[in-house]
Amino acid sequence: MRNKISMGTLARSGLLLLWSVILIIPLMLLLFGAVKSSSAFMMDPYSWPDKLVLTNFSDAWNQADLARALLNSVLVTGCSILSLAVLGSAGAYPLARRASKLSSILYIFFISGIMLPFQLAMIPLYKLMGGLHLTNTYFGAIMIYVASTLPFVIFLYTGFLKSVPRELEEAATIDGCGPIRTFVSIIFPLLKPVTATVVITNSLNIWNDFLVPLLFLQEKASRTIPMAIFTFVGQYNNNWSLIFASIAISSLPLILLFLLLQKYFIKGIAGGAVKG
Amino acid sequence: MIGWRKSDFLFVAPALLVFCMFFVYPVLSSFYYSMTDWNGLSRSTSFVGFDNYDQLFRDSEVWHALWNTLKFAAAVTILQNCLSLLLAVLVDRAGRIYRMLRVYFLIPTLISALAIGFMWSYIYSPVTGVINMLLESVGLSSLTQDWLGDPKWSMLSVTFTNVWHWAGFSMIIYLAGLQGVPQEMKEAAEIDGAGAWRKFRNITFPLIAPAFTINMILTMIGSLKVFDIIYVMTKGGPGDTTTSIAILLYKKAFNFNQMGYGTAIAVVLFVIIFIFSLIQIAFLRRREVQA
Repeated sequence: MRNKISMGTLARSGLLLLWSVILIIPLMLLLFGAVKSSSAFMMDPYSWPDKLVLTNFSDAWNQADLARALLNSVLVTGCSILSLAVLGSAGAYPLARRASKLSSILYIFFISGIMLPFQLAMIPLYKLMGGLHLTNTYFGAIMIYVASTLPFVIFLYTGFLKSVPRELEEAATIDGCGPIRTFVSIIFPLLKPVTATVVITNSLNIWNDFLVPLLFLQEKASRTIPMAIFTFVGQYNNNWSLIFASIAISSLPLILLFLLLQKYFIKGIAGGAVKG
Repeated sequence: MIGWRKSDFLFVAPALLVFCMFFVYPVLSSFYYSMTDWNGLSRSTSFVGFDNYDQLFRDSEVWHALWNTLKFAAAVTILQNCLSLLLAVLVDRAGRIYRMLRVYFLIPTLISALAIGFMWSYIYSPVTGVINMLLESVGLSSLTQDWLGDPKWSMLSVTFTNVWHWAGFSMIIYLAGLQGVPQEMKEAAEIDGAGAWRKFRNITFPLIAPAFTINMILTMIGSLKVFDIIYVMTKGGPGDTTTSIAILLYKKAFNFNQMGYGTAIAVVLFVIIFIFSLIQIAFLRRREVQA
């Protein structure tokens, strides 16, 4: 019996170790590339760095204009998730609360969007954005992210709102609270778990998205990080130290945030999926 | 029960407006444009009925992209779900080390597909790549490949990178499922003398069916739409061995200005995703009920 258990433990540890190694190789390569001089990296990319060359970071920072790209990414991601939380929760509120045909029709109208791939809207959007002069603007990209993600967000909020008891808001109404104040000060705070899921899953998706910036944020002034790196690689495609430094800088904010808030991240991802 | 009040319209209006203007309207336009010869340049666009679809069904590029996409989606869905379920079972224990591994396994998911595509292009390179270096160092230089440049291996290489990227994400969903399995049921099975495999097969797996359903659907839909990772690693090449539907429609619309034809391909992508989702939901939900 004891022998059997230790065999199981051995297999478990072996498999976990194997996957850990498969994960670490690209991550180490990224880190080593970022802190080695480009000649040292070319000579031997996978060995431990002899000395740290931190100028890669400053060079990449300046040459790829990462400060601007980071700011753009923060603005686009931040405004998108904020709008999603506000529009999504407010939009879902009557759909969950009013039992009428209109509610079900609107609900089905919204959530049928979950089935539609972004590619189905993409090409006409390109024309629409051009016509409205929204190409290369924050507002245009934010509207695209909000509109294409709203179906799922409305779905999450409506499902959760149905489980929130009505008594609280009824009491508030009796106390003379208007509908907007009731929503803002009583309902919205109760929706925290869904809001966390909405914020976490969408900040991941929007921060890392490449397709929307490739089409709608091409100019230097409005580029988000993936687009900035893509253009940078196009220009310096043989200087891998700089490329890896720029990738390291751009991936770090989310990884640090994740390490700080890992419990919420894991719950948020699982929450979005299980309810979906 | 109360009907709609004036304030309710105020609540829904902003969401409805943005959704209609920037999603519903372009989606509906796609169906229209797919029946035109719109090229994005000239002002006049004429209605051509089902010509684009007619052309599409005879276009070997489209069939090839379709086949590539289905191969990719099938491989990713199977590999990623097996791997992430295994990882979830392995790390589903109490203890600091397992908690740390869960966090560690999720890190690739936080990095953009773009960055991961570049990292792996380097690793697959026949000159600088670590895979060929390792093979050579253990005397297996006959197995070295140009992993992305060889049409025989390019699709497999891209598939593996995609699984590497997302395995941690699926693992978290399986873990959430596993943690909902009551401890008593596993213990009861153990007392009845069930081994690890039978315990998993007969107790754990049926109980995590909802996590299985959602993971299958998410990985399948995600991989049918695959764009970023392929665009970065191979741009659909070599030849068209890794060209997916999403890559093909991007190229048609934005490199060759065949906007009308591109939207027709997008409609096909939608139909495929729609059919597969319905089949999977029907099939997997039925299994859930039985469980």
